[in-house]
Amino acid sequence: MRWFGFGFNAFAQICVQEKSDKEESSSAVRVPTQLKNHVGRSKIRASWSRTASLFLDEDRRVRLAGFSASISGEPLGPAVLDTRGCEDAVISETHLTLAFPDRIESWDLQSKDEAPSWRTEIVHRSQSSDVHLPLVPGGYVASEPPIFRPLPSHLQAKSLALGGGHAILLTAAGAVYTWGQGSHGQLGHGGLIPEEEPRTVEALWGMSMRSVAAGGWHSVCIGDGGDLYVWGWNESGQLGLPSRGLRKTSQQKSDQQAGGLCGSVGTCPAEDPHEEVFISIQAFPALVDVSPTCEIRTVSCGSRHTAAVTTTGCLYTWGWGEYGQLGHQTPASLDEPQCVEFFRNENLHVVDVVCGPWNTFAAAVEKEVLDLKNVPESPL
Amino acid sequence: MTERRTAFGSPAASLWSKISASLPPDEGQFPLQFSDKVPLSVVEMLKRARQELYGGTTGAGRVLNAQVILDYSWERLNTGTWRHVDKEWRRVYSYGCLFKAAALCREAPSEEGIVQAIRTCDMGLLMGAAIMGNILQVIVCILQSEIRKLAKEEDDQDHVEAKKRKIASSHVGLIREELAVPRIKCPSLESFNANHLLPLKPVILEGIIDHWPALNKRPWRFVFSRSTRIQMNIVFLDEYLRSVAGCRTVPVEVGSRYTDEDWSQTLLTVNEFIDKYILNKGQVSENGHKAVGYLAQHQLFDQIPELKEDIRIPDYCCLGEGDEDDITVNAWFGPKGTVSPLHQDPQQNFLAQVVGSKYIRLYSPEDTEKLYPHESQLLHNTSQVEVENPDAERFPEFVKAAYLECVLKPGDLLFIPVKHWHYVRSLEVSFSVSFWWS
Repeated sequence: MRWFGFGFNAFAQICVQEKSDKEESSSAVRVPTQLKNHVGRSKIRASWSRTASLFLDEDRRVRLAGFSASISGEPLGPAVLDTRGCEDAVISETHLTLAFPDRIESWDLQSKDEAPSWRTEIVHRSQSSDVHLPLVPGGYVASEPPIFRPLPSHLQAKSLALGGGHAILLTAAGAVYTWGQGSHGQLGHGGLIPEEEPRTVEALWGMSMRSVAAGGWHSVCIGDGGDLYVWGWNESGQLGLPSRGLRKTSQQKSDQQAGGLCGSVGTCPAEDPHEEVFISIQAFPALVDVSPTCEIRTVSCGSRHTAAVTTTGCLYTWGWGEYGQLGHQTPASLDEPQCVEFFRNENLHVVDVVCGPWNTFAAAVEKEVLDLKNVPESPL
Repeated sequence: MTERRTAFGSPAASLWSKISASLPPDEGQFPLQFSDKVPLSVVEMLKRARQELYGGTTGAGRVLNAQVILDYSWERLNTGTWRHVDKEWRRVYSYGCLFKAAALCREAPSEEGIVQAIRTCDMGLLMGAAIMGNILQVIVCILQSEIRKLAKEEDDQDHVEAKKRKIASSHVGLIREELAVPRIKCPSLESFNANHLLPLKPVILEGIIDHWPALNKRPWRFVFSRSTRIQMNIVFLDEYLRSVAGCRTVPVEVGSRYTDEDWSQTLLTVNEFIDKYILNKGQVSENGHKAVGYLAQHQLFDQIPELKEDIRIPDYCCLGEGDEDDITVNAWFGPKGTVSPLHQDPQQNFLAQVVGSKYIRLYSPEDTEKLYPHESQLLHNTSQVEVENPDAERFPEFVKAAYLECVLKPGDLLFIPVKHWHYVRSLEVSFSVSFWWS
């Protein structure tokens, strides 16, 4: 299995690029590039400026690439930080959280402390099944202090995705709960108000979900039948719904925007003769047709983009593309899912995808390998 | 691109040398201090951008680094509520704007490039926080002079005659005498304080703003209403604002009222705003719905200090407890038909009418219950009632609430006491200035 990365690379977190005349190339990787050293099974986690790799076939060390990591991606940190035996990891801009069979540790990447800023023992073996980062026994670990946050046990949390200011939780029964900021409809309750406590997404009631993901201001989940549901902010087309902002920039000369104010709620009456309806904020879950024939196997969200892998091995991406994170080798943003042709052209079958805020990592195997064996389990 | 000639040799060098002169002389004296709210990786990007500013890398690289800083801080500015956004992120955003504007102006920028740099500075002024002695304001002034130099050379004709156009005659609603806001000419500080400020009674002060340059200087002149003079007045205002602030980016509210579902905010240059929403050029929808655009509640005079020369803070503001520095001055510029729904503000308000006229209705805070304020936190200071078309079934008590009304015309200064409910509709193209004080 090989991992490929594309998108934001200003800290060499995907690969080290030769200094060329084109200064532009150093900030972004446009062509999906295979990550070095990833032989055998491995997991990838990405923050804005770093990539954490967890090699599952070796002695399970965690290697960091990117900001203030050594170029060759040597095992992490000072001598005190022994990552051998690590089973899972999550990384934010400031913290790296590691799950071991007997303990969970959260390290402040900006400090020179010789101890983790938070730590918990895993006493009972049954508890280790509760560990599916960022979920930990009794709650979850956040990307900023307070690190540990409790969750009511009655929720029976199965997996948790943390977005820019919100959280989306999947229960063992397949129900979805959200809480946190709601200003852009990212909670899916139909309004814009924040929620302090987990609140069930009623629009999905009665449908069993199997996977959840969260971006900066949007939320995504996969239904049991392989359908994709999206809600939240669509300013760059990250929901896969028509985005007014994208039509405007494609019509005008595309200036480098210094940023803009938040869009309007609901639909804006369009001015063009086609009377198209644009969605700026989608406050209730909406179904997105990624590929007419295929089921979605796994999905991941960056800050303002979304990436989905179908059961047939295609990678689709949409949303903000400024740093090449969509993998279509242009900086254009898209409000419609588009297949990343690179993998098809290379005869590669994509089996997993993990997004950093501004980049994307895809795991792929050769199609010939696939024909001989079963489709490998996607390591979550 | 017109050829620009200056006395100082190559024109591009002249612009860059002016900008460069406003920056610290070397990297060592360029501060980049941030609290630990800003991750070290972001500080690293800022240091790279600073290094490039003083170094010799190519243009594309410089703009790119600045854009990374802008994109990252933009995301932080949009996370959580605006009120709670850490000021450090607004500072980082301003640094991003500074690096980007500098990069755009480094190597022989075209007029387009300078306009883009101005827009970048405006974004920093609108969304960022002042850095390095408000350097974005300094740089935007340099850039604006440059644009004005170019504009002067291109456009020598006075197109005022050609731009005179038909403006619908202002339909001035009949104000009922017994409901009229009282008018007083030039009251003394003491009498205003005793009769209006302390008892919190609305009043229109006449003769107070007559001395404003805005009401006397050529571009804004022709105070008193005669139909042709109103037309000329507005044409002059358009021309003047374009020349002073045409390429500056301002926030515009689009939609009939801010309580509507399809209301939104957008950013336009003053030129674009005037073309689209004052002169109604270009798109006129076939279904007849002309979107209303309102340059509302914007601190235009802070953004464009030259305009401050044309107005004065009313002397009566000194009767308040606050500092003069704490007085918020907003510009309100829009076409006929802009509506501010009935709402109340937490400070005293002087509303000065400069061009055009507005219908205004005032309700006392004692009648708040009859005005059915919205329940939500966000709109708690706004009434649910459409003042000029109230729904008697949903809001039966509204018709019982007592009110005062007026048509505010150029030269009038309306005192809206703190927490007094007010509703405003423009009767024609209008420019007002409000002063919020305590």
